[in-house]
Parts: sequence; structure tokens; C-alpha cells
Amino acid sequence: MATTACFIIVSRNEIPIYEAEVGSAAKREDAAQLHQFILHAALDIVQDLAWTTSAMFLKAIDRFNDLVVSVYVTAGHTRFMLLHDSRNDDGIKSFFQEVHELYIKILLNPLYLPGSRITSSHFDTKVRALARKYL
Amino acid sequence: MEPDVSMETSSMIRIAVLPIGTVPPTLLRDYHSMLLRHHTIPLSAISSFYTEHQKSPFTNQPWDSGSLRFKFVLGGAPPSPWEDFQSNRKILAVIGICHCPSSPDLDSVIEQFNAACKGYNSALVKRCFAFSPCDSHLEEGGKKGDNLIMFPPADQQTQEFHLQTMMQDIAASLLMEFEKWVLRAESAGTILKTPLDSQASLSSEEVIKAKKRRLARAQKTIGDYCLLAGSPVDANAHYSTALELARLTADYFWYAGALEGSVCALLIRAEDAVLEEEVKFRYNSVILHYRKSFIPDNAQRVSPLSFELEATLKLARFLCRRELAKDVVELLTSAADGAKSLIDASDRLILYIEIARLFGTLDYQRKAAFFSRQVAQLYLQQENRSAAICAMQVLAMTTKAYRVQGRASISKSSLSYETGSSLVDGGKMHHQSVQSVVSLFESQWSTLQMVVLREILLSAVRAGDPLAAWSAAARLLRSYYPLITPVGQNGLASALANSAERLPSGTRCADSALPFVRLYSFPLHPSQMDIVKRNPGREDWWAGSAPSGPFIYTPFSKGEPNDSSKQELIWVVGEPVQVLVELANPCGFDLRVDSIYLSVHSGNFDAFPISVELPPNSSKVITLSGIPTSVGPVTIPGCTVHCFGVITEHIFRDVDNLLLGAAQGLVLSDPFRCCGSAKLKNVSVPNISVVPPLPLLVSNVVGGDGAIILYEGEIRDVWISLANAGTVPVEQAHISLSGKNQDSIISIASETLKSALPLKPGAEVIIPVTLKAWQHGPVDPETVAGKIASGSIGRHVKDVSSPSLLIHYAGPLANSEDQSAVPPGRRLVLPLQICVLQGLSFVKARLLSMEIPAHVSENLPRAVHVETTSCKGLVGSGNRMDKLMKIDPFRGSWGLRFLELELSNPTDVVFEISVTVKLENSGNEDSHSADHDATEYGYPKTRIDRDYSARVLIPLEHFKLPILDGSFFVKDMQSNGTSGSRSSSFSEKNTKAELNASIRNLISRIKVRWQSGRNSSGELNIKDAVQAALQSSVMDVLLPDPLTFGFRLVKKGSEQDAELDLPNDSSGPKGSVLAHDMTPMEVLVRNNTKEMIKMSLSITCRDVAGENCIEGTKPTVLWSGVLNEITMEVPPLQESKHCFSLYFLVPGEYTLVAAAVIDDANNILRARARTDSPDEPIFCRGPPFHVRVSGTA
Repeated sequence: MATTACFIIVSRNEIPIYEAEVGSAAKREDAAQLHQFILHAALDIVQDLAWTTSAMFLKAIDRFNDLVVSVYVTAGHTRFMLLHDSRNDDGIKSFFQEVHELYIKILLNPLYLPGSRITSSHFDTKVRALARKYL
Repeated sequence: MEPDVSMETSSMIRIAVLPIGTVPPTLLRDYHSMLLRHHTIPLSAISSFYTEHQKSPFTNQPWDSGSLRFKFVLGGAPPSPWEDFQSNRKILAVIGICHCPSSPDLDSVIEQFNAACKGYNSALVKRCFAFSPCDSHLEEGGKKGDNLIMFPPADQQTQEFHLQTMMQDIAASLLMEFEKWVLRAESAGTILKTPLDSQASLSSEEVIKAKKRRLARAQKTIGDYCLLAGSPVDANAHYSTALELARLTADYFWYAGALEGSVCALLIRAEDAVLEEEVKFRYNSVILHYRKSFIPDNAQRVSPLSFELEATLKLARFLCRRELAKDVVELLTSAADGAKSLIDASDRLILYIEIARLFGTLDYQRKAAFFSRQVAQLYLQQENRSAAICAMQVLAMTTKAYRVQGRASISKSSLSYETGSSLVDGGKMHHQSVQSVVSLFESQWSTLQMVVLREILLSAVRAGDPLAAWSAAARLLRSYYPLITPVGQNGLASALANSAERLPSGTRCADSALPFVRLYSFPLHPSQMDIVKRNPGREDWWAGSAPSGPFIYTPFSKGEPNDSSKQELIWVVGEPVQVLVELANPCGFDLRVDSIYLSVHSGNFDAFPISVELPPNSSKVITLSGIPTSVGPVTIPGCTVHCFGVITEHIFRDVDNLLLGAAQGLVLSDPFRCCGSAKLKNVSVPNISVVPPLPLLVSNVVGGDGAIILYEGEIRDVWISLANAGTVPVEQAHISLSGKNQDSIISIASETLKSALPLKPGAEVIIPVTLKAWQHGPVDPETVAGKIASGSIGRHVKDVSSPSLLIHYAGPLANSEDQSAVPPGRRLVLPLQICVLQGLSFVKARLLSMEIPAHVSENLPRAVHVETTSCKGLVGSGNRMDKLMKIDPFRGSWGLRFLELELSNPTDVVFEISVTVKLENSGNEDSHSADHDATEYGYPKTRIDRDYSARVLIPLEHFKLPILDGSFFVKDMQSNGTSGSRSSSFSEKNTKAELNASIRNLISRIKVRWQSGRNSSGELNIKDAVQAALQSSVMDVLLPDPLTFGFRLVKKGSEQDAELDLPNDSSGPKGSVLAHDMTPMEVLVRNNTKEMIKMSLSITCRDVAGENCIEGTKPTVLWSGVLNEITMEVPPLQESKHCFSLYFLVPGEYTLVAAAVIDDANNILRARARTDSPDEPIFCRGPPFHVRVSGTA
């Protein structure tokens, strides 16, 4: 498992709708903030890159210092962004694909307003389990 | 590293611009900007200043198309250790700027300038520009030598031209110096070193190597000078040599430098047709070679990394276009990676700044913001004020990307807000609009936003900018209070307070802090000052105006509650208005709002500030008031709040948006909800228009505005005073009633009001209103049916509440030709606060009747027809009780009937009951019956103490009808002429209804009034009770018997008969009867019907014991004449007599009774006798008459 990893789902309106620090490293507040700043900045690159490829998994698209940003863009332009310090493309790809399935299940919930925050604790648990499995 | 580098930088001549003496900063900036305009001097322009001393080394100089470029460094720069490597880093010229008026001594100026130039060894040309000299300066200046150049005061254009000439001169001088330098370098050869070169002594092999390298470096430097001299072709030639040599000697660093120079030469030479691929390729090679030149030995001390990064940035800048974004991002990312290897912190700062700028150019705002924030953090690490100011300014640039801008900076881009708000108003949410609502709260990266705001706050505090600090703290507190701990909230509150202390009082800030302010409601006018649209064409001008309806809810107002254009509110100039707003303090500290008032942009409204204290986590609804000052529309976008020492404007719509976002789960929290305030419907600001002054009636009830307390049935006058408190006279006024129990208002003196018009401002009019209290508590609807119209019964029963007076009034019609400009009228709703207390309560009523036999005397008892009876005489008689003791004229005996009412008094006051009976001669067509109508019989008052019951007797007399005929049974009481035919149509079925009608008629004549204390009086509503009591025996009360009987002594002396004297006193026995004497008597039978009655009459006489003393075995009374089975025929309304004589044997009391059996009785008689079968004989019995027989036995 990666020592540092931060997973964020950004809606097509550019609102973070899910955030999780999934790294094994001890949680530090300023680090978590830095992660979010990096991910937020990477959105600029994603927005250009997403239209250049038909693949959903955009691989590592940005980095800052040792931290790499991998992005997966769904068809509805919801962006799964993972900040990590490990180089495990296959694992990350699998992680994204499984999270995508979970996300679709959330979307199928008629009570969920697309674009609003994902508050399901079940989703959270599952995502963290996937992170442990693949990252 | 240097900021703002590009590939062309290599071709720029660096000139230090130094202020000499004191130069005001603004002027320095002006002079500098003047210089900046001359950053490029075409070679063609300097040819006149240029003199070729020797053969120029720049053989291929393009005199027609080339140019020299200057880079002005304001304030100069310390010499760079790398200036041998890149000649463009040298300060090649110094320009001093002197402002003569502030430094008049030219000698000292020159001295200072020379001193300043000492620091710039590399400077080849030095000039001091003296601006705005006076005449003496000009004279003096001529002698001071070349270096001091005077700019005589002149207009802008002349001065510019002058400056241009001077710059051309400088350019020419520099060119000549370059030539000199190149010639010298070519011949002599110079030692060129960089900090990168090993400081250690060189071995012999290395010395040879160094010699070769020196050649390469010299060629590269000459190339640099060629570039500076604007001769790219020469430069390229030298660079090519240098590259060759450098490659041979593996001098990668200089190789890269020469390659960079060659690219620059390439760019200058072919400005339009640049081969992008070529440049990219060469620069990648440059970067590669810089990297190659990295020597691990001295990496701690010096590193070529900064050149590598600079080259990367140069390439990135060259490629910086949207379509090459990917390449640029890659370059910049790798440049950013190099940051952590940079030794110098300021290098890192420059690197980040450049990266941020380049991302900004690419329109990657978030990337730019990210690196800007990195820059700000580096600045903040420096812990000094100017760095903090820089940090603050840099952070301010990032606020847009992080969407935490202050309102001041987004006022222009607030259009998106506007469009959002229209959707926000929508009550029904379609999916589409939900999406756009979501977009309203775009990019809510709260963590980042909080961090950025906190950093802005920190930097602003350090930089000593209280307003920026206040604004940041306000934004932080307002937007992110749910994420901040109470301790943090307190910290922010004190930060706000501290910042405010440093601000001048009355400072305004565009960003609002706490509290949250939302519109609670726009109270419509109180009903006392309701405004009604006036319809000038109608007499009742208020009719048809919508708001005057009694409905709180109208189905028409429901339709489009969010369409604010439909809601209209009218305010009146000079009349205070109120608006309710709700404040919320969701934070954990006490919030004191120093003042809050409505913020009105239309300028025709004076708002009154108030101050509010809000405890932690609380909300409060407050009333804000103000006075409209002039006619026109009023817009109220929000409130102006003075809180935490700064004045801010709180816009209602922002809070509405926030609440909407909270409802959708897009915003952190609803500040009102978390304060425990109820969810409120979105209140939209109505269209408010201000109209010119209107009259204003103020009402009050004379004698106190408290509730008018009335006992049931009480009748009282109240006086209502109406005063015109406006500034316009009332010219029209109309009073109407509304509400429940309208019938309780008996009369309103609206004439008084009408006559007082026009009511001038300040004038007052008092109008009396007569009230009658209604029944207390629920009443059986049937019982009130007699009094109230059937429609209002339901209201009576449902709720007991007071009626209201509606007074519509209006001022003068201003200009009648313009219909739309008619000033509206007003409506005053004056609810009469009537409190009805339970008064006397009725227990029961019953009919009492008794008969006291009359004495037989010489005269008949007063057997007079009603129509001939003078009732006045009776009323006038002294003894009132006598009136009760009257003989029924038709029965001939003392027949008394009383209605007994039992009343109890549950109240705590004393009541006095008085009964009056109004006599009415129904069934009498006599002309003077009108007189009798007015006649009332008064009876003594009955007093009922508190908590006691009492009985009131109401004598039922004067009600008998004179004639028994069919007409009674028919409804029409007045017409008895056609009774004969009517009687035949009489039917049993109608009896009940007819009876009820007659009873009502009877009852309505009885009035039971009460009085309590001095000023309470009223009437008891007992009709139902009386009716119930009389129901069974009404016929006995009302109707005469068909036959009346009377006995009379026949006087022996005068045999006159049937003389109808009026007896003055009939109570005493006048004619005495003696025992043992023949007593002649006669019986009078009167027919009270309109038809002939045939009958058989019998007379009996009884003694005290009730024994029949005429018949039997031992009669005590002897008789002569016929006493039994006397057949008589009595014509209608006539009397018949039958004479007989009695002989009393024993003195004492005897009773004479006459009885008759009517033959061939008609229907009327049967009905009266209440018999059904036609065969049954109708038996009529007269009342008993007493005969006192005196004498001895």
C-alpha cells in the first residue's frame, strides 16, 4: 500500500464530492491540504487532456515533487483523482475501475442528486477497502 | 535565476536606471516609463551619432533593419557572478535620473552620480538625465561635461523627442564601445570564468585544455556582444565557432550557453519565419547540456541547475500557446521538480513565480494559483513585512481560482450571481434548474478555500493591512464557520476586532461578516393605515380594490408566489414603515451588531439604525424601520451592518442563495437552521413604490381603548374619536361594517363624520356608536331565529367575536385629468373590542293563573269592550297594585294570569329588572288605536343581588281579543271582515303556525329591561322562554270565551237594566243581600262571537262547602223562575238577560255559577273548546260569582 494517497471525486461542476486520505502514512493536516491543492491544480490539465483520448484512465497526468496525480474520467465527466507516491499503474487502474462501479451504484440511487456530495458511509468503506487492496 | 527571462533576453543591453538625489517616487515612475518607450532603438536611427573609428568587427550588421534592445533595471542590480558567461547579465550602461527642483545643487548631483556609477564596473556608458532644470541650472549645466544632460522644461512631446535623441546617442555610444570591446577581445583574448569552474589549481593537462576552452569561451562572448550590437549573423558565426570548440573541449556549460545564443540569433534574424521545431530541438539540447555540465564536486556551492531551469522556462515561454499546452505543462512540471534542488531560496521564489506566470498565460488558472500559493508560502517564510505584503498580493491573485474573492474584486463578474438568483426564486425545482443551482456553488473546495483565506489573513496581519485582514477573516468566518472550532471562531472574531481597531471608524468593506441577515417579512400596512386603490369614477371608490377583502387567504394570491412583480407594496412619504429581518449568529461567541439598518440604493428612504446583541448560536427577528422621503420606487437589496467595527452591506439574495444551497446539500450548513430558527419560505422583496402623502386617520375609543365590557343584551353608546394624523385633509369618508356580530351595532352616526369633512390635518371628530351586546356563549340557532336574519345564525353560533368598523377615506383628488395618478385612498379598520359577559341567566318561565270570584252586586263587573275602555284612566290611578286586581272584563271575575320568570344572577353585580308591556290593539280597526300602541305599562323594579335568583312576574293582561272569531286563527289579524268565509277554510294544520305567530306578537310587546349600576342597562332576551311557557295556554290568555256570563242584582227601585256604568270601585259589595228576602237577580250572557249562538243555560248556587243548595233534599236556597235548561239565543256581540229570584234561608257566602251547553256549535267554537268530534256538546262555564247574604238565620 502506498504511503501517501489521497483520493478525490470531483463532479463535473468541479466540486469535490468525495474525499478520502487513503495513504498509510500518518495523517497530517498540512499534508492533506497540500494534497488537495495539488489535485485542485491538476484539474486544469485534466480538463484539456480528457478530450484528447477515448480512454477513461488518463494515467499519471501531473506531479508535484514526489506526488503523482492519476486521473480517471467517467463518461459523465466525473473525475476520480488519485494522488499517490507509488508507481503501480495496473493497481491504480483496477482501483479506478472498481470505484467507478461503486460510483455508478451511487448514481442509481434516486435520492442522490448528481453532483452533490457523496455521504454514503458504505461507499466510503468500500473505497477504503479497494485502496487497501490495489494501492 | 532571473525573473522574466526569455530567449530574446540574450540580445538585450542591460541599463541600470538610478535615481540621483531625491526623486519623488511618482516622478521616478514617470521618468522610467518615459525611458521604457525607448527600449528598442533601430540601428538606422543611430547612424548619425555613430562614427566608425576603426573597421567594425560587426561586418554583417543590418543597419537598415536591425536594432539595439535595452532592458532598463530600475535601481540597478548587484553584479552577477555569471556575467562573464552571459554578457547580457552585465550592466552595460548607467542612466542617472535627477529631478532638479528637489536636488538643486548640480555639483552634488554629479558627485552622487559618479559615486553611484562606481558600483557598475561593467558600465560602458554613463549618463545623468536632469529633468526640469531652472535657467541657472541650464547655464551651469553646460559647463559640467557630457555626462550631465539637461532636459529643459517643455511640453511632453518635446521632452520625449529630446529623450529619444539622448537614447539614440547612448545606443550609438554603446555600439562603439561594443566594437572596441570585441576588437580588444579578439586580439588580446580574455580570461572568462564562471563560478562553476574549479577553483583549484590546474594541472598541466588541464592548462592546455583550459587554453582551448578559453578560445571557445571568447568566441561565445564575442557572439554575445554581436547579439547585443544587433548583428545576429555575426553572432551566429562566432557561436558556431564556439560550439565547435566547446564540443571539442567538452565544455558543456559553455556549449549550452553558445547554443542558447545561437537560438537567440536565429530568432532575431528570422523573426517571422521561426522554425519552431528547430528552436525546440536546439533548446532541448541546451537543457540537456546544462544538465550534463552538472559537476557533483561543487554541487553544494554552485550548480548549473538554475541555467537549466532558466532554459526550460525560456523554452516554455517560447512555446507558451494553447495548442502546445501539453509540451509546456511537461516543461513546467519538470522545472517545478527542479525547485527542491535549488540552493537559493530566492531562486526557488523566482522559479515558482515564473511557472505561475506561464501557467497563467496558458489559462491554467488553478495551476497558476497553486504555484502562486507556493510563492506566497516562500514569502511568508521570510518573516518580514515587505515579504508579507508580497505574499498578500500574490495570494490575492489566487483568490479567483480558489473562488474566495472578496466582493470588491468580483463586482464586475457578478453577472453569474444575477442569473442564479432568478432560478433561486423558483419554487419548483426542475432537474434542469437543480443543475444550475449546483453550478452556483461550483468549486466548493472548502479545505483549500479555508487555507487560502487563512494565509491571506496571516499575511495581511503581518503586512499591516487591517482592511485586507478584516476582509479575509470575515470571509473565513462567514463561509466556513461550521468547519471552524469555537476556539477558532473566537480567534477570528478577535482578529476582526483587532483589525477594526487599526481602521479609521466608518471604514466600509465589501465583504460582509456576521451576522447572517435574511428577509423575514414585509409587513403590509397595519389595518389602521391600509392603502386602497381609488376608483375615481365610482361613488364607492374603494370597491373592487383587492386588498380590502376580509380574506387572509385568497386563492388568487397563491398562483405565483415567487413572481415578485405581482407583489406591490405602497409606502407613503413621511410615514414610518417596518421590515422584519432575521439575524443569525451561528458562531460560538456573543455577537454585537453595533448598528443595522436597511440599505436602500434608491436614495428616497431614511433608515433608522438599531443595535442588536446576538448570543452564541442564536437567531433573532428584528424590526427595521425607516421613512420614505420622496416619491418613486424603493429597492431594498439588503441591510447595512456595522459590526466588528466595519460597515458592510449584507445582501438578502446572497443569503437566499446560501439557504438554497444548504437545502440542496451543496453548502456546508444553513446558518438559520443551526440556530434553531424555523425553515422559512423564501421571502422575495416586493416592488415597493412610494406615493405622496395621504391622510391618516387615527382612531381611539373615547374613554380608553380597552375592551368594552358588556353584559349580555346590554345597550351602550361608545364614542369613537377619529383624528387626522396625516398632512393631507380627509375629503371623503365612508363607514361600513365587517366581521361578526354586525347586528350588535345598532347605530353609527356616520352623518357626524360626513359633516366634519373635510377633516383638516390635526382635526378630530367624535362619532357615537350604539352597541348592543350579543348572547354570550353558544346559543341554539333556533332561538335566535326570531331576531336575526337566518343567514347570520351560523356565524353567531360558531364564534363570538367583535365586529369591525371599516372607514374608507381619501384625500383630495390631485389632478382629475390623469386617471392613473389618482392618489390612493385608505382604509381604517377599527375592530370594536367588545367583551360580552354573561349577565342574568334565565332559569325558567311558567304561566300562573288564578281566579278570584267576583261579588254579585247591582252593577255588573266592568264588562266593557276593549275599544271603549279608557286605559289611561287606569294607568293614571294612584294605586298601582289595583291595576293588577282587575276584573277580567270578559269573564267577570278576578282572573289573574302572570308570567313568572325565574332569573338567577351569576355575576358579581346587582341587576334591577323592570318590565314594560307595550299595549297594542291588534284586531281593532279603530282610528285611535295608534294612541294605544304607544302605551306602556310599567311595573315595579325587581332587584336581583349577586349570586341570587329572583322571580319576576309579568302580568298578562290587556291581551284579550274582544271577539272570538275565525280571524284569529287566520294569519291576518287585521282583517276580520271576511271572517265568515275564512273560518270555513280554517284547518287544523295551520293552527300551530298561527299560534306561534300570535305568541310572537304577544311576546314582542313584553320587554324585560335590566339595569346594573349607573350606566349598564340592557334588555333580557327571554322570548324563547316566554314562548315555551305560553305555548300550551296561549288561547286562554289571548282569546275570550265564546260566552261570558255575569250576575246582577236587580234593583228594586229602579228597574233599569243593562246600564253600563263605569264602576269606580268594584271591590266592595255595594248592594247587600239579606237572608229571608226574595232577591231578584238576572244573569247576563254575552256572545263574543260573530254568529248567533243557541244554547241551554243552567244556573247553580253553591254554599261555602260547595254543596248545591238549590237542589237536593234540603235546599237552603229557594228560587223562583227558571234555573235549568233555559233555552236562549244570543245574537252576535250582543247580550241576553234572564231574570230569576233567589231566597236565601241561611246567611253566608254563596257562589253562583252559570253554565251553558251550546247547540249546533260551529268550527270556531269547537276549536276554542278544543274538541274534535262534532257530536260532543260544547260546554261553557262561567266564572263563579260570590253572593254574601247577611242577616240572621
